[in-house]
Amino acid sequence: MKFSEVDVAVIGSGPAGMAAAIKAKEEGAEHVLILERQEQLGGLLHQCVHNGFGLLYFGQDLTGPEYACRFVEKVRDLGIEVLLETMVTQISGDRKLTAINSHEGPIHLQPKSIVLAMGCRERSRGQLSIPGTRPAGIFTAGTAQRLVNVEGFIPGKKVVILGSGDIGMIMARRLSLEGVEVKGVIEILPYVGGLIRNEAQCLHDFDIPLLLEHTVTQIHGEQRVEAVTIAKVDKNKRPVDGTEQNIECDTLLLSVGLIPENELSRLAGVDLDPLAGGPVVDERRETNIPGIFAGGNVVHVHDFVDNVSWEAEIAGTWAARLSQKGDFEKKEKITLKPGRNIRSIVPQTISGQNDVTFYIRVKEMEEKVRLKVGDIYHRAFRVVKPSEMIKVDLLQKELNLLKGNSSELVVECEKGE
Amino acid sequence: MIEEKIICIGCPLGCETTLKIDDQRKVIKITGYKCKEGRQFVLEEYRSPVRVLTATVLTQNSARPLFPVRTNRPLLKTQLKEAAKALIGVKVKPPIRVGQIILPNIMNTGVDVIATDDLIS
Repeated sequence: MKFSEVDVAVIGSGPAGMAAAIKAKEEGAEHVLILERQEQLGGLLHQCVHNGFGLLYFGQDLTGPEYACRFVEKVRDLGIEVLLETMVTQISGDRKLTAINSHEGPIHLQPKSIVLAMGCRERSRGQLSIPGTRPAGIFTAGTAQRLVNVEGFIPGKKVVILGSGDIGMIMARRLSLEGVEVKGVIEILPYVGGLIRNEAQCLHDFDIPLLLEHTVTQIHGEQRVEAVTIAKVDKNKRPVDGTEQNIECDTLLLSVGLIPENELSRLAGVDLDPLAGGPVVDERRETNIPGIFAGGNVVHVHDFVDNVSWEAEIAGTWAARLSQKGDFEKKEKITLKPGRNIRSIVPQTISGQNDVTFYIRVKEMEEKVRLKVGDIYHRAFRVVKPSEMIKVDLLQKELNLLKGNSSELVVECEKGE
Repeated sequence: MIEEKIICIGCPLGCETTLKIDDQRKVIKITGYKCKEGRQFVLEEYRSPVRVLTATVLTQNSARPLFPVRTNRPLLKTQLKEAAKALIGVKVKPPIRVGQIILPNIMNTGVDVIATDDLIS
């Protein structure tokens, strides 16, 4: 393939990138190219050796590598072009893309459309401002996961985990099975950060204590972590005097949230949504820059890999259509507005001309609520939680019920069933 | 009669169920589940909980130091740690195809440990 002929270029080959590329090819785009910075396709799926992947997408309980294998096979069968060990360094607003690898040197592309599928990265100690020394032995949960599952190193013997995100809880189980003493998971909120099923199968199964409404207030140790101080927090998440206790440990893992990788998006001039964390997109998952699409954890962090792939398929579908038919006509857009107890909504704008898949995250846990999208959709929930994203599919004909030429649509949680 | 709370891990929903149990440890009533499979799952979870074990094994003649595996069927929860120990010392060589049996009949359970990735080199 000549690089000048690329129809759809996909950046990243995790569960989003491969799904987008496959869909783009199936939708009729001739030259689909995946650019991946690692030496193999699959992104972070390789280090996720645990099961729970694909329950929704394939109806089967797969591990991360197995989930990746399914997509890799399809990428090969469909003849999708792949450039490995290739780093995209620049995207411009006129869809020029620059990448580099050690075989070709700099590569300049002018694809008809681009799908951003770079995924997300972990929040680190620097973003938490934990006081104390700076010894060795502090890792993000994902780094520990890579060390244990891919590189073959155990990060420590006695571990405390700050944050009850899914990767932290999964590492608590993994380390326990590898003979490491996991002293506890410390969560600042009054409820678990990740999925309830991970609390059950990763913490309860291995008798690992979960301390809610607690945080780490100090890290001790000169060369290596020797202990952490934890304390109870009040309603404003401030440590309560007199509740401090020391836990002896040699390792602290951080599982305190994920942030979409926005560097390339910013370079291209893509508008970002501070609430969802990634690019502002419409129902086609097209950004404000025509021909640049985004899907998966680069847009907003999902709970399930299945949704990452499904969302990226939307981006892949429309990227292919644009590459065949030219840019979409600019039309008036309807803006989604987060109302009561809504943290974020993706897509942030819709045209009203197509079916829409919404992903909605609430701000706070609340019982007995009714989720409303304007006055065209509502659904009752026994409980809504920030850790569980809500998916809402609306058909185009349902959007026709929008009154007049409203340019705004409020999504909100209404109290009561 | 006692009540036991069990989180269903049959699917990502994670339903919080409640089991009413009589003095003979017989389940009288289950509430909080959302599907037939979930009801069956928590019943099994009460009687004898099982889990799929996922792990890694060492490699030989490969650029990758570790290779991911899992059991092809769930093991009793109480067997997990012992099964993880049984994988110490298992070494695999390329080529391996995803799904291939790595260790048959682990601890005489009738359950096989299978590859969860391809190992080409």
